Amino acid sequence: MDKVLKLRNLKVVFPSGHGIIRAVEGVDLDIHQGESVALVGESGCGKSVTSQSVMKLIESPPAMTRVDTIEFLGNDIKDYSAKQMQDIRGKDISMIFQDAMTSLNPVMTCGKQIDEMYIRHQGVSKKEAREYTIEALKLVGVPEPRSRAKNFPHELSGGMRQRVLLAMAFACMPKLIIADEPTTALDVTIQAQVLNLLRSMQKRHEMSLLLVTHDLSVVSNLADTVYVMYSGKIVEKAPVKALFQAPHHPYTVGLLASVPKLSDTEKTFSQIPGTVPHPMKKPSGCYFHPRCKFATDKCKNTMPPLTTLSENREVRCYYPLNLKKEATA
Amino acid sequence: MKKSYVIKRILYSIFVFGIVMTLNFFIPRIGVEDPAERYYPPQGNMSDIEYEIIKQVTRQQYGFDVSTWQQYLNYLTGLMEGNLGTSFRSGSPAVTDLIVDRLPWTLVLSVSTLLIGLIAGILFGVIAAMKRGRWQDTTLLNASTIMVALPGFFIALILSFYLGFEFEIFPAYTDPNMVSNFDWSLSAIQTVAENAALPVLSMAVGSIIGYAQGTRNAVIAVTNEDFILTAKAKGLKQNTIRYKHTLRNSMLPIVTSLGMSISGLIGGQVVIEQIFNWNGMGTLFLEANNMNDYPLMMGIMLLLSGFTILAILITDLIYVLLDPRVTVGDKR
Ligand SMILES: Nc1ncnc2c1ncn2[C@@H]1O[C@H](COP(=O)(O)OP(=O)(O)OP(=O)(O)O)[C@@H](O)[C@H]1O
Ligand SMILES: [Mg+2]
Repeated sequence: MDKVLKLRNLKVVFPSGHGIIRAVEGVDLDIHQGESVALVGESGCGKSVTSQSVMKLIESPPAMTRVDTIEFLGNDIKDYSAKQMQDIRGKDISMIFQDAMTSLNPVMTCGKQIDEMYIRHQGVSKKEAREYTIEALKLVGVPEPRSRAKNFPHELSGGMRQRVLLAMAFACMPKLIIADEPTTALDVTIQAQVLNLLRSMQKRHEMSLLLVTHDLSVVSNLADTVYVMYSGKIVEKAPVKALFQAPHHPYTVGLLASVPKLSDTEKTFSQIPGTVPHPMKKPSGCYFHPRCKFATDKCKNTMPPLTTLSENREVRCYYPLNLKKEATA
Repeated sequence: MKKSYVIKRILYSIFVFGIVMTLNFFIPRIGVEDPAERYYPPQGNMSDIEYEIIKQVTRQQYGFDVSTWQQYLNYLTGLMEGNLGTSFRSGSPAVTDLIVDRLPWTLVLSVSTLLIGLIAGILFGVIAAMKRGRWQDTTLLNASTIMVALPGFFIALILSFYLGFEFEIFPAYTDPNMVSNFDWSLSAIQTVAENAALPVLSMAVGSIIGYAQGTRNAVIAVTNEDFILTAKAKGLKQNTIRYKHTLRNSMLPIVTSLGMSISGLIGGQVVIEQIFNWNGMGTLFLEANNMNDYPLMMGIMLLLSGFTILAILITDLIYVLLDPRVTVGDKR
């Protein structure tokens, strides 16, 4: 498999009057062609900042970004100029955001907002662009695309709006799609529809997907590989099946336990005790140790490194769990 | 959907104007024993009997000799015909004629102020937003802070003193022959422009800074909106984002504030006209006030309220053009 994205040692901080917010602390990310990668973690752990950094969309100032490598299709785009990045964005990497209501320009028709993609990246006329737009809307299952294209965002339902965002992201058939919590704003049935659509489009066109979510339950049938993020650091990386069968990091175990399962007769909703550390007051040692029942003095004092356990499995913990389980799996 | 909204909006404005017309008629009559009292000339050395006759005649002359209801109907039919009553001035000129003479001169000032304020204000606001935190932005912030503390007439006095008297760049007093000599010739128009310079500038300084600050804040607010990030993620060029996405959305709050600021402009202009001796509606109003010329005062008030309602209507209609969401009734 060819590598589409190779991110090495991404660090993003936000200096503020009260201190420094270390949003991302040395994240590595690999995405291969046709692969779907999920980035999972609680709110505020740095998922959005990481995913937007891939497209170099994090403005500095206010942010300060350091990265060793951002390799996209074999080219290091780390030092690309703003102009060069504009040519890549939308065309080779595109993004789907969480809330289609606020992510679409309220005073521009949905059609026009998709047209812009073709006009910008394929240099076609407005008229041709509209024909492409209608095709794209058809592809994502928008009924009566010609008249829907003339609607403003507020005139469509939440599901339809999200499909408009999907059509926009797929417009130029990019190599990589980044979807940042693409369905959080939708209700559950529509969520499943949109996610399945996203997955099938991605598979059919051999694209790569970076799916950002705080919800492990959607990951199982959408992702091939999962990165678990905690407080700005990757704490576990694993193929999706292996992760669900044998989560190694206590945080992942906690996350999985809080996913409600269909088999659960009584609705126990286990939660990880404690809260996410404040981004300006991170604890010493392992950031997770104050919430971890297995923590020792070692965990309190030194940050464990991200260690490779087996092929494709990495974990940032001195005492990984479920090691035997994997052997049997 | 849009059409019905426009019609509804127009009907609503007419309704509001109807209320204003009615209030304009009834308020001077509330709690007064004899509503015609203000219209009587002073008694002087007339005997009571003589004065009673004079009062009788006055009541007849100004239409107070019929029932209040009939007076109201007469007032409304008069308005339909553009008749605002007769002034107390010698020769009993029609209020409408007095107003029509002065109105264009007032509009010259207000319209130029509005245009200059809007164009320059939006331009400066966009620049300040683009250069956020740099000297262009801090200058604007300081100017706004100073403006809050500075009454409009004070600016007028400073400008009139320096640009008018000290350096004699523009006339500090309006040429008294400007109106009577006006004949649409190029030189006459130039005279008007020269004489209007200081009053317009005095009023425009405030509007420019006000609109600039409003535009700057709106542009920055829109820049932080999610859809601007979407536009960037689409790879759109900076200018496309700026003009097609940011600016149009930033204009929405400006248009909303426009209707209200126009009524403020009308109020401020009364003072400015006085300072520069400009023969407009403001001066006319003060003249009427000094002479206790009630019909004239009421006529001017009614007209100004009408203008305000019209201004708000027009800005609302512009808003509909800019923001498709209005028609569903959730104007932000
Ligand atoms: N523009 C900014 N200025 C200051 N701090 C920021 C900024 N953007 C993000 N942060 C901080 O960076 C950290 C990571 O934010 P990020 O948006 O990546 O979280 P997230 O994992 O996407 O969370 P969520 O699930 O809520 O979207 C947070 O602590 C946030 O406060
Ligand atoms: Mg986020």
